[in-house]
Amino acid sequence: MAEPLVRMKNIRKSYGRVQALVDTNFHVNEREIVGLLGDNGAGKSTLIKVLSGAVPLTSGDIFIRGKKVDFRSTSDAIAHGIETIYQDSALVTQLSIARNLFLGREPIKPPRFLNRMDQEAMNVVARDLLKQVGISKNIPPTTPIGSLSGGERQAVAIARAMHFDSDLIILDEPTNNLGVAETQGVLSFVRSARDSGHSCIFIAHNIHHVFQVVDRIVVMRRGKVVADDIDPKNTSVAEVERIITGMSDEEIHEAIVQGKQSQG
Amino acid sequence: MENRSIIQRSIARPEFGPFVLLVAELAVFWGLNHDFLSPQNISNILAFTVELGLIALAMTLLMTSGEFDLSVGSLFGFSPVLMWTLFNSGLTSLEAGFVLALLVAAFIGLVNGWFVTRLKIPSFLVTLGMLLVVRGTALFVTNGFPQRTWSAEGSWLAEALVGDFFIGPFRIYMSLFWFIAAAIALGYVLTQSRTGNWIQAAGGNPSAARARGVNVSGVKIGLFILSSVMASLAGIISSLRTSAANPNSGTGYELEVIAMVVIGGTALTGGRGTIIGTVLGILILRVMRNGIVLIGVPGLAYNIFIGAIILGMMALHSWLERRHQTGT
Repeated sequence: MAEPLVRMKNIRKSYGRVQALVDTNFHVNEREIVGLLGDNGAGKSTLIKVLSGAVPLTSGDIFIRGKKVDFRSTSDAIAHGIETIYQDSALVTQLSIARNLFLGREPIKPPRFLNRMDQEAMNVVARDLLKQVGISKNIPPTTPIGSLSGGERQAVAIARAMHFDSDLIILDEPTNNLGVAETQGVLSFVRSARDSGHSCIFIAHNIHHVFQVVDRIVVMRRGKVVADDIDPKNTSVAEVERIITGMSDEEIHEAIVQGKQSQG
Repeated sequence: MENRSIIQRSIARPEFGPFVLLVAELAVFWGLNHDFLSPQNISNILAFTVELGLIALAMTLLMTSGEFDLSVGSLFGFSPVLMWTLFNSGLTSLEAGFVLALLVAAFIGLVNGWFVTRLKIPSFLVTLGMLLVVRGTALFVTNGFPQRTWSAEGSWLAEALVGDFFIGPFRIYMSLFWFIAAAIALGYVLTQSRTGNWIQAAGGNPSAARARGVNVSGVKIGLFILSSVMASLAGIISSLRTSAANPNSGTGYELEVIAMVVIGGTALTGGRGTIIGTVLGILILRVMRNGIVLIGVPGLAYNIFIGAIILGMMALHSWLERRHQTGT
């Protein structure tokens, strides 16, 4: 098998005495959408934070295309082509769409007087990108992010990751708080991102959304990866739910009965 | 949205409210006393306006990045005192004293920025502390007495900063040109340059900016230095013009400057700033101070009007903001 795009090996992360990740192994192949599932506190967010450079790992190694890397900050991860999109937080609401797209990487127009930005070029690229990610409404690229809907904001963040050739786009709960149409929009961006050669990690509580787009499902429980090769085409939602909770049908049934008894 | 008329778009701009207020102010004062627009009075208004204005311009960028600086008023008093003390004691020439005073101001700005970005202490507390340190130093060095200043006559530095001449009936100080140059340069930086984009991002969503590789701390430290240096420059200009270096001068200017900036439409919380608005805000407050005296309102009532303007403009800005958010 070819070397995966990203491989995380024996990752440990502890906050004081709390072990958030225990010898976790995780990988993402080229052009693959991986669904990362798990209950609250299973370690999904910590794993993603480690991979995006937001928190340092306690021990373990991260390889990108077989090369060992060391992330000290989110910019290190971005420089290695890993882009993380958190709900809402990745954009500056006061700035326009175009200014957000190019934040930190603004094109400079000669003559370089006080680092003048090439705003025309920014607007042209932005208008083009908005069309690519499926925003059909005629939104000028000078519109501030603050007046966009949640789905449109997600689209802008995804467009940014695609434009700057990120190899891996991490989407943390991208469909939270979105309407039905907007959710479909985000899911279709994810598919188009794969079609244009990007890999994705897709984290969501809504298993049905995950099933619609991903190639492979990874499940975490209590800081460990408990299943990392679930094919959504041959597996039912109920089976995955069982793996997430770690309980068999009878155990779930018992838990429900006990719950009812203690209430009554 | 792209097809809105020019009138609609200019009304939607945050500078529109302050602009209307300034025009109304000018009309009312002129209507009540025609001397208000006399060349002599206009020259009077401009002389001091641009000195406070220099501080307000730098403060606009600093506030856009989400911080503010309360120590500018005390630097306004301290820097000329430092320059004159060095010069009068024979330690340095006037020019060297000037450069040293600006360097000390830059260092004070650096310390402010370092406390705010590295130690994560709110700028309110850091610069309040710095206000007391700087003012206290000015008082201690001078024993509370003004410094001798009359020997500046004829120095090229004084000519370049505050040399005056007449354009028709208007008496113009060189400081007006420094102010205009600073307004154009900083307005350009804020709206057209990459640095301006970083300043707005640092104030709007610092973690997002940091995640994109923007050096948020560096931007803020730079702006603290700019704010201190501009306050120092303004103090020296004022001292040369009035031939006075009083360790107590500049008391309370920090609040007047912040008022000018917010009246102009810059958000106190950061992320949004406008140099044009600040220029309007500067004029609104200075014209008000001059005008109410000229029409016979007791000067002591000045603060009542300033307070009312601040409250009124804040209400207008928040109303416009809400309409803008829901209307699109």
